[in-house]
Amino acid sequence: MFSKVLVANRGEIAVRVVRALRELGIASVATYSDADRGSLAVRLADEAAYVGPSPSSESYLRIDRILDAAKRHGAEAIHPGYGFLSENAEFAEACAAAGIVFIGPPAESIRKLGSKTSARQLAIAAGTPVVPGTDRALSGWEEARAAANTLGYPVLLKASAGGGGKGMRRVDGESEMRSALRDAASEAGRAFGNSEVYVEKLVEEPRHIEIQILGDHHGHLIHLGERECSIQRRHQKVIEECPSPFMAAHPDLREKMGQAALKVARAAGYTNAGTVEFLVDRDANFYFLETNTRLQVEHPVTELATGLDLVEWQLKIAAGEHLTLRQEDIAWRGSAIECRIYAEDPDHEFMPSPGRIVHLSEPSGPGIRLDSGIFEGWDVPLEYDPLLAKLAVWGATRDAAVRRLERALSEYVLTGVRNNIAFFREVLADAEFREGQLSTTFLDRFLKRRKKAEADPEAEAAAALVLALESNQDVPPRENSRRLDAWVTSGREDILR
Amino acid sequence: MTRQVMVNGRSGRIETEGSRLRYQREDGVQIDCECSLERTGSFSGPGEYSVLLDGRSYRVSLGTNKEVWVNGRALAMEVFDTARRLAQAARTNRGRQEIAAMMPGKVIHVLVAAGDTVEEGQGLVVVEAMKMQNEIKSPKAGRVAEVRARPDATVGAGEILVVVE
Repeated sequence: MFSKVLVANRGEIAVRVVRALRELGIASVATYSDADRGSLAVRLADEAAYVGPSPSSESYLRIDRILDAAKRHGAEAIHPGYGFLSENAEFAEACAAAGIVFIGPPAESIRKLGSKTSARQLAIAAGTPVVPGTDRALSGWEEARAAANTLGYPVLLKASAGGGGKGMRRVDGESEMRSALRDAASEAGRAFGNSEVYVEKLVEEPRHIEIQILGDHHGHLIHLGERECSIQRRHQKVIEECPSPFMAAHPDLREKMGQAALKVARAAGYTNAGTVEFLVDRDANFYFLETNTRLQVEHPVTELATGLDLVEWQLKIAAGEHLTLRQEDIAWRGSAIECRIYAEDPDHEFMPSPGRIVHLSEPSGPGIRLDSGIFEGWDVPLEYDPLLAKLAVWGATRDAAVRRLERALSEYVLTGVRNNIAFFREVLADAEFREGQLSTTFLDRFLKRRKKAEADPEAEAAAALVLALESNQDVPPRENSRRLDAWVTSGREDILR
Repeated sequence: MTRQVMVNGRSGRIETEGSRLRYQREDGVQIDCECSLERTGSFSGPGEYSVLLDGRSYRVSLGTNKEVWVNGRALAMEVFDTARRLAQAARTNRGRQEIAAMMPGKVIHVLVAAGDTVEEGQGLVVVEAMKMQNEIKSPKAGRVAEVRARPDATVGAGEILVVVE
């Protein structure tokens, strides 16, 4: 096993990996840009390395700086987290060339699966069903129009190098195609440095169900079952669960999808942790969507339901150890649900809301897992994704898990930046959600029928009491903290001088 | 203590006398109860208050931008001030509108130039923050009097981007 590992990421996932490293007795090296000097990961890690200015293109995406940091600190391996360089084949190769282990699949697998178009071709060859569409990047608007006419509207434009909904556009008719293509290509170019776009037939009201896979360097490959991530907004997942509520009515679907996912993984020579995503229609037909060749944001729900630690297995596999779990050892117990806490404003079109966390009370107690990258006083930078934390719960049944998640959300207070905590309570109270009637169009429909909750007058009175009292005070009550702040500020200035 | 407050655009009046609290809303809803208040949480931040109204428990904390959080839900709330409110109303009724950035970010596109005629809802400037692009739209039909936003410039929340008359 490694003795020191560098974490080439930030936010909650950097904290997650640092925690796994500490549990395994491996020294951790966090990385930070200017904006992240005071981050939770830096504070929790054994060591920390500066990797550049705040924009990710000058820090977390800089292969040279990340490798330099790893060498400086003597790290034997790099965990890339998700996003940034995690699915970058050049980075994986550069690590190998520098004699550093990249914790993830081989560069060759990333290359085969990383581009959605080549992944489709690979899936077709492996005998896994795919959504009808073009098998390569579009050359331009004429080709897009011709392809869409053949497939029939509605269609979906997608970025070849993409993920997370960036560079993705639904197109309902030919008149929308030109501008949608332009928007998708420019968004893809900005997000991934590659503006290639392809087109697919849109499956109406599909579920998004994905299979977690794990493979070692000795030819052993297994799946850890599914996660349902149908609750999405603009193709960005917000609620994920394991098992999928759809599986109760389709008991053999997990194994069928698991085997389909393994076929794709085998064809790509896959190792380490990965996720094969599928769209599932109402009749339980499933279509290969893409593969994420890295640890997934929503991996905690699989961990809660299977009792396995995916990051630990990533590290062991990367160190050359055997995956000692057999397929028949994997069992799913109870139900796990996660919601992604974002700094965004659900009442104003989910506009991002960077700023300082003024007050934070986090949920705890039975069955709660909080993967967070924030703390009171932290400035949420505007340069990065607005993901603040992931709140996951486990319950004996799906219903118990939903009630537990509602309880946890009611304990969660986060002020200073607008966030979606209260919004999740509305979603969880929704009858369709309770019944597990999920699809990727759920949130759009929910937002249309959503009624703004009428404030309880007694809650208003409680708020008014506090506000009136605060506005009444001439002398600030926090004399001590002011003095401390001034001391800290001058101390900081001394250091910077 | 008596104070006028604005809650989600509606006015109300709060009155306390000893441990007695009365809250009256302009729509006639009225609360009259025993109250108890305790400041909890850290000294470094604004912390949180525990409010008991006839024994029912509320967690209250003050956010930024005139927000008060009660049991995890935000209320837009401020202490009512007649003079300031009148001044504000007078300002927004005037024809000239200063369109400001709603959040800090980077200007990606400037879609209009000074002198352009714009429709209500027409895009003026595209600002990016946290990998999300947002088009700032004109609140009214009129003429662009001034464009202060510059492409690639970083802007703060509240910074004026465009002036429409």
